[in-house]
Amino acid sequence: MQDHRQHNKNEGQDLPPFVKTWKQFYLLLIGWLIFLIVAFYIFTGLTQ
Amino acid sequence: MSGLDWGVLIFTLVVIVSYGMYKSRGAQNIQGYLLASQSSPWYSVCLSVMATQASAITFLAAPGLAFSSGMSFVQFYFGLPLAMIVLCITFVPIFHRLKVYTAYEYLEQRFDLNTRALTAFLFLIQRGLSTGITIYAPSIILSTILDINTTYTTLCIGGIVVAYTVYGGSKAVSYTQMLQMSIIFLGLFAAGIMVVHLLPADIGFGRAISIAGKMGRTNAIDLKFDWNNQYNVWSGLIGGFFLQLSYFGTDQSQVGRYLTGASVSQSRLGLLMNGLVKIPMQFLILLIGVLVFTFYQYNRPPVFFNSFELNKLENSSYQPQLGVLKAEYEKTFQAKQLAVNKLSKALESDNQHVIDQQRTVLQQADEHTKAVRKQVTDLMLKNDKSADINDNNYVFLSFVTRYLPKGLIGLLIAIIFLASMGSTASALNSLASTSVIDIYKRLIDKEAGDQKYLAASRWSTVLWGAVCIAMALYASKIGNLLEAVNILGSYIYGTILGVFLVAFYIRHVNGKAVFYAAVITELIVCICGWQKVVAYLWLNLIGCMLVVLIAMLLQLVFKNPKKTFSQI
Repeated sequence: MQDHRQHNKNEGQDLPPFVKTWKQFYLLLIGWLIFLIVAFYIFTGLTQ
Repeated sequence: MSGLDWGVLIFTLVVIVSYGMYKSRGAQNIQGYLLASQSSPWYSVCLSVMATQASAITFLAAPGLAFSSGMSFVQFYFGLPLAMIVLCITFVPIFHRLKVYTAYEYLEQRFDLNTRALTAFLFLIQRGLSTGITIYAPSIILSTILDINTTYTTLCIGGIVVAYTVYGGSKAVSYTQMLQMSIIFLGLFAAGIMVVHLLPADIGFGRAISIAGKMGRTNAIDLKFDWNNQYNVWSGLIGGFFLQLSYFGTDQSQVGRYLTGASVSQSRLGLLMNGLVKIPMQFLILLIGVLVFTFYQYNRPPVFFNSFELNKLENSSYQPQLGVLKAEYEKTFQAKQLAVNKLSKALESDNQHVIDQQRTVLQQADEHTKAVRKQVTDLMLKNDKSADINDNNYVFLSFVTRYLPKGLIGLLIAIIFLASMGSTASALNSLASTSVIDIYKRLIDKEAGDQKYLAASRWSTVLWGAVCIAMALYASKIGNLLEAVNILGSYIYGTILGVFLVAFYIRHVNGKAVFYAAVITELIVCICGWQKVVAYLWLNLIGCMLVVLIAMLLQLVFKNPKKTFSQI
């Protein structure tokens, strides 16, 4: 069975422009989750 | 449905299936067939992962849930971004580095053949049965809405999916899912705009949300910890994390999707983007349900949204009682309408006293409406013990078919077909991958050539497609099969996740210990489930924890590890 995997030697090149490392992306995602929970909390409070 | 709607429905399905088959045409090898040649960019991985998770029921049940009990369901997804991070750090790099086709293949490299075969076997049982339900559940709803036989809707959904999945394999699945998700987003956006447009002239988007909020439908966050409350922040973050981790990390229908990524980075990006957009997407779907709720404060909703069950009751000896309940329902609706108008004016003038007063009146009326509906469903059960008394899945489609303009109805019905097809296609592809890679290639014919494995994969997809369609057709004969399959999933998921957690994080445990731990755990979980020791959802956590604990204990007995994590 052949393997046609295109191995990317420099994974950092595939990062989106708004982050420099994967760690930053993970922290961004955690920050986004916290933001959403706070935003939904405010939404719940304001509309009820 | 009008001719235009049928035209839109058929045109949408034909275009998407043709596009998927065209893009996946040409000679393929096994790697191309099962993993789309591992050439997918991150956005394809992201949309494919989302399409696999979002079954038709996701788009039907979520607005219905928001309509009946509010937006608390959004908290169920809070664990998903955290699970995506763990997957990107641990699962994705290991699966890519070891160049596996299936998640279970990795378990042989880490442990032994027995553990791989056991988890692959458990997956095949669970996914094989649940895919039948993935086809059946929307088929029964569509047959009610379109007033055609369930057999036809089942054969239509199942037949189309099997055709393009067999033809194009994983590439066809990915390409169709990309287009499917784009149309699903477009259709839902149009539906949201139309609901606001159909509200009375003086009720805008903000006012509609405020009215629903005063009636308890905008409860997106609940910070109280309560074991009995399914949806709060803590159950979403903790329980949801384990559930999403087991689903994305150990279920081949998802693993097979992100392994199509062109590199570790592309797979990671796809998963992390899924983590970014999934919660807002679910929030917006629930918001549509909230807007439909406000719409029905100005337009009388049916006393029960499943017209098939309601018609059955109307044609029974219980028709006089139903008539009395309908009159009571109408009276309550008129009282509610008066209160809603007063509330709307009070919101405009910001009169807090009247707002509080009308909120109480509306909440009481809402409770009374629920009580009347409960009496109606009681009558349904008296008339027919097997009656389906949960009409959540019918709320949104009932609204669509009654109030949306021609053309858009066809598009939204197409969305239900597409969502069902997307998740079913991934499941069939994963069943074929596991059957061929983990069973056929590993245990039956190790030395066959690439073309033979490719042919085996196609036949395996056909076979699993036939099994799933047969399951879906048979499901209509057994009322509680849906719940039975969910219970079966809880029996299995926890054990498989436990095996993977030991594989990744407990380095000194070897194959023999984890295999026996998985077998013992499966027996304990089956007994717990059979004896109803706990609610079946907890079996996931129990199964996972038991595998980890028993494997560590057995390792003390067996000692002498053959292969450790650091060697892989």
